[in-house]
Amino acid sequence: MSIVRPFSASDLFRFNNINLDIWTETYGIAFYFTYLSRWPDLCAVQEDPNGRLMGYVIGKAEGQGLEWHGHVTALTVAPEYRRLGLARKMMDFLELVSDDIYKAFFVDLYVRCANNIAIEMYERMGYSVYRRVKEYYGTLGVGKGGRDEEDAFDMRKPLSRDKDKRSIRENGRDFIVNAQSVS
Amino acid sequence: MSAAALDRQIRPIYDALDTGSNKSAIVACNKLLKKYPKNDLIKALKALALVRSQKVEESLVLCDEVLESKPTNDGVLTAMMHVLRGLGRQKDMVAMFEDAFKQQPNNEELGTQTFFANVRATNWKAAQQIATKMHKQFQESRYLYWTVICVILQAKEPGTSSDMRSLLFRLAHRLLESSATPSYLSSERFCLHLTVLRELGMYEEAEKLLDGEIGKIICSASLVCNQIRRDIWKLQGRALDEGKLAESKILEKNRNWLEFLVVLDATFSYFTLENDPTDEDRTDCLDAVKKAEKLFSEVAEEDGFRDRSGHLALLELENRARKYAVSCDSNRLLALMQQYFGNFGDKACCYEDLKPYVALSGEEFEKWSVFLASVPTTFTTTEELRRLINALKLTRYTLSTSDITIEAESERAALYTKYYLAGLKLGLNLPSSELQPADDLAILTGNSYVLLWKISNNEIYLFRAISLLEFALIKSPQSFQSRLILIRLYRLLGAPSMALEHYRALRIKQIQHDTLSHLVLTRASTFSLSSTGDLTLASECLEATQIYLSNSQETGDYIVRAFTTEKYSQIPEFIYFEEQLENSLQRDMVKIEHLRMRLTHELISSDIIDMELIELKFIFDRTHHDNRDFQILPDYQPQGVETLNDQTLLFQKSSGNGWLATFLRLYIRILQQASDLDDAVEEKLLIGDRPKQNADPEKQLPLKDRLLIRHEVELAELTADELLLVDFAHALADWLESFHNYTRPPPHVVLAEAARQTELKTGHPLKGVEIPPADGFSNGNGKKNEEPPPIREPPELVVKYFSTMKSRLSEALDELSIAELLHLATLAQEAFLIFTIETLRFKPASVVKVNKLGSLVANFKNIKADALALLKEASAILLEISERFDVSGSRKAFMDACSQLTEIEEIGYEFVSSIGKKMYDSRKKVLEGVGKGITKLSTTYSA
Repeated sequence: MSIVRPFSASDLFRFNNINLDIWTETYGIAFYFTYLSRWPDLCAVQEDPNGRLMGYVIGKAEGQGLEWHGHVTALTVAPEYRRLGLARKMMDFLELVSDDIYKAFFVDLYVRCANNIAIEMYERMGYSVYRRVKEYYGTLGVGKGGRDEEDAFDMRKPLSRDKDKRSIRENGRDFIVNAQSVS
Repeated sequence: MSAAALDRQIRPIYDALDTGSNKSAIVACNKLLKKYPKNDLIKALKALALVRSQKVEESLVLCDEVLESKPTNDGVLTAMMHVLRGLGRQKDMVAMFEDAFKQQPNNEELGTQTFFANVRATNWKAAQQIATKMHKQFQESRYLYWTVICVILQAKEPGTSSDMRSLLFRLAHRLLESSATPSYLSSERFCLHLTVLRELGMYEEAEKLLDGEIGKIICSASLVCNQIRRDIWKLQGRALDEGKLAESKILEKNRNWLEFLVVLDATFSYFTLENDPTDEDRTDCLDAVKKAEKLFSEVAEEDGFRDRSGHLALLELENRARKYAVSCDSNRLLALMQQYFGNFGDKACCYEDLKPYVALSGEEFEKWSVFLASVPTTFTTTEELRRLINALKLTRYTLSTSDITIEAESERAALYTKYYLAGLKLGLNLPSSELQPADDLAILTGNSYVLLWKISNNEIYLFRAISLLEFALIKSPQSFQSRLILIRLYRLLGAPSMALEHYRALRIKQIQHDTLSHLVLTRASTFSLSSTGDLTLASECLEATQIYLSNSQETGDYIVRAFTTEKYSQIPEFIYFEEQLENSLQRDMVKIEHLRMRLTHELISSDIIDMELIELKFIFDRTHHDNRDFQILPDYQPQGVETLNDQTLLFQKSSGNGWLATFLRLYIRILQQASDLDDAVEEKLLIGDRPKQNADPEKQLPLKDRLLIRHEVELAELTADELLLVDFAHALADWLESFHNYTRPPPHVVLAEAARQTELKTGHPLKGVEIPPADGFSNGNGKKNEEPPPIREPPELVVKYFSTMKSRLSEALDELSIAELLHLATLAQEAFLIFTIETLRFKPASVVKVNKLGSLVANFKNIKADALALLKEASAILLEISERFDVSGSRKAFMDACSQLTEIEEIGYEFVSSIGKKMYDSRKKVLEGVGKGITKLSTTYSA
């Protein structure tokens, strides 16, 4: 069980149980406030009935013409609340808002090519690889997984407005672009 | 020269400023100013470069020149905006823009800037007036909404009376009604509209908006609007309607727990607080319970293991039914709990989920305990392991006090350890970045050892705890929960460098400094080695403070941006956030700790005294927010005993507002006596805005009276030895107050000296300070007409302080822990420094002679001799103990304490021994450092 409610500025004081985990980055005030001051309706938290934060999603809407889409910037769940389907609930929410309010053509997100668990999870939610972005996570350097560690897959899921499913393609893994060419 | 040519010459100045080369910007400005001595833009840019190179006085002169010319040019205004912000002069910024807008009332951009300047200064009333004016003039609907939100923000200010409040909300409502376009065109405007209606209780009007087609659509996708809608329905008493709506949403597969809570609330809405339930109410409720049960059961069945909502809703329903005595089956709650454990026992959160329901008694409790005990202890899958962990946690939570004995708890610790080691096998192949599934068993063991330490008061349990948790970190390097406990334990053990090592490994960043730096910075001066020149902890204080700087520099920009993007829902939240961080309790507790460290490191002089005094007085007017996160410590203690957080607080004292207020009073009082800055002088010399008036009546008393306030509740946050220090300091100040006031040079002398210094530095006279002609007293040492106050004997609290501390030290030596010993020694050192500050003014022989204070000063000698004797002994004791840790005997004590762990093959003797060594090395370092530092300070201030 979890409560889905808007991400509030004061949640920054309370997200330690999520952000102390190494996979979640803590950014400066400017990062969170940039999102909250432009796309507050694409940011949400989940909390348990005692008020403890369980996870959150931060997103935005961007792109020109047919590229107009919702983007998942951060999606994270505290270690003790994983495997409960919380990520899916938050993605459902972000897709709903992107579709209903922003009238976007699709939703997209980036994921490390080596992160098979996450890729499979997104595939189950209806996402598919649209392209591979070279050295997207370059700052971390090449780790054990080689190129797959620093390259990202741009995964997309079409929304109702994209009737012809033009925002996705079959063999997205073969399309390779530079990190500089994506926003 | 043409304007274009000038532009070309100014460009490099902007570039230099952008890249932070303030020096070259100043050089370029000077060059250009020779050609164009009257150019405001160049002056403003130079002022900016000066502010950014900390040359405040020089910048002030230019700044005031530009302001006098009442600029309207965009470039000048923007540069000045940054200058004034840097100087903390928001009020002047507002005035500058207002002047400019008055001169060019058709300039929309100027209007917007003036509005924002008021927003930054939180002048909601002025901002409202400008927005109104702009709406009339430029006919943009957004300005109307700006007016509305400013009216609301005025209403919400703490100083606004309730009459004024409703008046303002009615005004907001009228404004909204006057809008040419309906609010539902944007969800944010719609939300603002609903907020006003909710506040005014105009539910029917809200209903019209909400029940309309567009209203429904907005609420279905906007969480904020839906939240307000929910509130309004609740306030309106539409619990049943709300319940029906929620039910339909649940049927449409919405699994937001809020919807389930609404159904639950609706189910029991037949019972109100005011009336005793009638039979009819009871029957209605019973029906509703049955209906809800059907709904939740269907959801639970449909979702299976994929979602917990339906299952937990059934539990909550039964729990509430019991409370209202409408439960039909007394066995149902237990059955549901067992079922829930069966379904979700393999999820980590099962423990938290079931915790609210385990307050069972008698036979039910027995059955539940038997059920938990029957959970198999097998370690073949991680699911089984998690079940076992949940069963252990739930069992531990309901332990009765009779179960908590040293024997029983020792057995439990051994059992948790055994299971932990067995569970580790399940994570053998995990990469080091993953958490071990068995981690919680190590944390349970840690909790158990801490409890053993509390009931036995024997350090050996802490030795075991750190050995095991350090081992757990080898196996699971990312387990921040193990680290959090270790940080606390190392501080308790007097091994602060180990605590800091683990704290740094947490990689605390940004806002986390505010919420988590308490872990190592609370009472950090106890462990500070600043006196010996080691500034590790002092710089940790400064680093933790960076976030407050970014808050004051950045957050305001986003408040302004939220106006531009019309995200009205965010504006009050951003403002609150800024305020909460600006007035953070932790911020100022760190400030006090840093001051205490600074005084041991830098030579005490009038510069430090004046600067710190001004800063502390600012802080003293704040109403603090406690943003510290204590929930983060993984607490698995039985419900009847203290939480892990309380158990592991240094010196068993939780310090907060009371502690801070007490130390602020102490230091402001001492520094104020020692300083030559009285209020009149300070008023003249301070630049920038003064803090807003605080509405708290206690904060409106004269400062002199506020410093003498003593609240028992506040003093309860202090340790016994801190209290002794406070009493000593106030007694000392009481004694010397009249002599300070008599000896302190009069304000005009202080100002004349300040003016002289400024002129030497900048070549300009100090603004706003008029120096009266010399009158023969102006050298400060001039003879006075009045007699000095009668000399009194020093009060007993002062005379006896150092000898009391000395006997405390020798008597309690064997009973004190290392940390407590350091606490005592550093406080004695602090008392000596306070004495030094208080007597600094009376050091020059000429001052003593002129003011006829010879017999007063004679009293200082004995006090100082006592202080030095105590410090000498304290230092000797610390050094002696530190040497003990070289002897193998004390190290053996650690190994003996951990014998159970060294016998475990996976952990081994070597590992435990290395942990013991690190801990003793850390202890030795701090004891030695503090000991030597005390000697150093004694020598520095002995004369």
